Amino acid sequence: MSLGPRSIFRKTWRTVASVEAGVVLLILVVILSAVGTIVLQRPVTSADEMQSAYSPQVLRILDAVGLTDVFHSWWFLGLLFLVSLCIVAASIDRLPHRWRYFSSPYRYPDEGFRRANRPQKSLALVNAKAFEESSLVAAERALQSKGYNPERVVRQDHIGIFAEHHRISELAVYIVHSSLLLIFFGAIVDGLWGWRGTMNLNEGQSSNVVAMRDGETRTLPFYLRCDAAGEENYKDGTPKRMWSKLAVVKAGQDVQKKEIVVNDPLLSSGFRFYQSSYGTNGTLGHFTELEVSHEPGQWVVWSGVVLMGIGLAFVFYLVHMRIWVVPVRDPKTGKLSLWIGGSANRNRDGFEKRFNDLVASIENELKPLTCSAPDGATRFGR
Amino acid sequence: MTLIVLVGLAIAFLLYIAFLNGSRNGSLWSETNLLFATLIFYAGAGALYLGFGVTGAESCVKFASLATWLGLIANTAAVAHRWYDAGHPPFSNVYEMLLSFVWALAVLTLIAEKKYGVKVIGTITMPVAIVGVVLMQLLRTSVHPLIPLLQSTWLDVHVTLAILAYAACTLSFAFAMMFLIQDNVKTETFLAISSASTLAIYASIVLICFGRWGGLSLAAWSKDRKVEVFFFQGLRLPVTIREMGWLITAALLVVALPLACYGLARWRNNLSFLTLANRSVFVSILMQGLTLAVLLLSAHAGGSTADNSAGSSSATAAASPFLLTGLLAGIFISLLYLLLLLRRPDLERLLPTTDKLDRITYRTISLAFPLLTVTIATGAYWANQTWGSYWSWDPKETWAAITWLVYALYLHMRITVGWRGRRAAYFAIAGFAVVIFTFFGVTYLLRGLHAFA
Repeated sequence: MSLGPRSIFRKTWRTVASVEAGVVLLILVVILSAVGTIVLQRPVTSADEMQSAYSPQVLRILDAVGLTDVFHSWWFLGLLFLVSLCIVAASIDRLPHRWRYFSSPYRYPDEGFRRANRPQKSLALVNAKAFEESSLVAAERALQSKGYNPERVVRQDHIGIFAEHHRISELAVYIVHSSLLLIFFGAIVDGLWGWRGTMNLNEGQSSNVVAMRDGETRTLPFYLRCDAAGEENYKDGTPKRMWSKLAVVKAGQDVQKKEIVVNDPLLSSGFRFYQSSYGTNGTLGHFTELEVSHEPGQWVVWSGVVLMGIGLAFVFYLVHMRIWVVPVRDPKTGKLSLWIGGSANRNRDGFEKRFNDLVASIENELKPLTCSAPDGATRFGR
Repeated sequence: MTLIVLVGLAIAFLLYIAFLNGSRNGSLWSETNLLFATLIFYAGAGALYLGFGVTGAESCVKFASLATWLGLIANTAAVAHRWYDAGHPPFSNVYEMLLSFVWALAVLTLIAEKKYGVKVIGTITMPVAIVGVVLMQLLRTSVHPLIPLLQSTWLDVHVTLAILAYAACTLSFAFAMMFLIQDNVKTETFLAISSASTLAIYASIVLICFGRWGGLSLAAWSKDRKVEVFFFQGLRLPVTIREMGWLITAALLVVALPLACYGLARWRNNLSFLTLANRSVFVSILMQGLTLAVLLLSAHAGGSTADNSAGSSSATAAASPFLLTGLLAGIFISLLYLLLLLRRPDLERLLPTTDKLDRITYRTISLAFPLLTVTIATGAYWANQTWGSYWSWDPKETWAAITWLVYALYLHMRITVGWRGRRAAYFAIAGFAVVIFTFFGVTYLLRGLHAFA
């Protein structure tokens, strides 16, 4: 027994790429996020509240372990990183095989495959060489009527038909997984380079300074001016609409103007300005409170989301269906028959129904052929 | 047959009462009355579906479907009424969401019944719908104008998707339960599980709510405004219903009976204890019904005292949605066991095969999962439009993600590891429990940005 570095690597790799590892990691994520919603979290709770909710000792322990800020703790982020690693490893582990399957489909079924594959059906043909070709033509017509695009496979000693639908379905899972990675990547970019802050502007005032939550400030590469702001209320006093008329000023010139409301922010060179609050201060008139955010990674996140939608649609609603049609001559009796086989990567019952439909339609196409057969034989074996 | 007549009579009687009430107030087609009619029809449908499971009479299903259809019509009318009154789709608070959710659930029940031929599916989904409608009676029903945050097309998109996803999850749960019944889960196992969960419900109620001098301490509930009463920011005002605590404790003991008998039977290896356990399930159901009735009545009567030191505010009818859900859930779990206990040997014939049920459960989840995904995605997009951040680890967001992960785990276990049958069914049931928590638990137990629903 030698445990060289290679075998240790192989073992680790196997573990990381296994489904079990992924499942265990996901369960951990579930448990820890649940804990993070039950224990009060520092970023959204005031210090006073934290102190009144927990005794000092408990609070010290919670703080030390990081349970008061689960979603920004190093171990939670590490866990998410491990999940990503697991996805990558599992994909690398399985993708090459899948890719071969995807890029060079199995077009001609050999004897062993023909014996084992389900569903399948054999239609007996009239015993004449010419019927090989004409039966294939009939099958092609039937396949075309069912929306397939049949492909003639010609090898040295045999011919057949291969047809398929939705081959992309084989890669769907990888699309979903890579979309998840894309979302993680965008979120990491935002975590590292994104920020949020607030900006208070009186009517007519302009500024380029954003106040961050930790007391720091950030300077924008342009000035923002508030031309007007206001609030409308319903009769019962609940707010109906809050708005601010904003202008982006670059080098002394207005380059962009927009009236923003609560669900409709102003976007200017990567910075977003949201209507957050509105108020009046005695001498200066009205002021508006804006939320400012910079999220350079969000477009990566959105493209990940769209990709995931597409991937999931493929996973659940596209079935890779394959059909093979091969004329077969029995080596002992010399009888000719048409072997039809099918395969689907999911929803097998639904496929079996379609397969039977297809066989019925091929039988139909074959009928005129067999009726005009020289010896008048019409035989269909099942 | 007697059952059908009885249920029919009960429906007619209740409707008549409602009619009298309505005509006295001069508003026959008010939303409350429509909801009441919905409740009556759904309850009748539930009873008939249950009756079908027990008697196996085809006519039960026919009338059950009819009752569901009528309930759905009343429900649709209530939705339309609400929509017209509010001027926006009924999506903007918990009450409105429940209204739409119950509607979606009834529609899916009828589809499942017609398309997949799972005739007893209503046994599970109708009780869920009933719990939903009963809960609605406790929630604030007044129409409120939309606050700026909710004035977005994304509200409609996001909530429609969420309701569909939740309803699909409920359906998958019902299919999984059907699977377990068809798969001949040993009645004893189910007895243990059902009585343990009922016991857990009562134990947590006693632990949380048992107040001083045997009272039952609850969050104060303002009857007119239908909201919880707070005496300080974030702190609910506790109110005590006198003597109720003892009743709940007594109920806890009765509910513990079946489990105790089951334990004895296992320990002594004596089957006569199992018979005893089955009998005590009946007693437990009666006791639970009694407890619920007394609680509702005494809460309705008011006169409970607030037990903060000021002691000034009192006499608000106390009831909390959680308590009520717990009590109702306990009753339904026990009833479900009865269905299993009384099942006819030919119930198998009435249900699709286990294989088919297993597949339908999976199919429903493969519908629910993309819906959940898109719900989360639209929610994130909307949050980004409003708060400047697509993900802020708010409890609702986090629990939505947890639900998503649980179903993702289900899919992996099923597709990659090959979990089929019973294990997959248990997984689907657990997934539904998480969905319920995300829907209600987060709103009432955890606070966050998603405060409106």
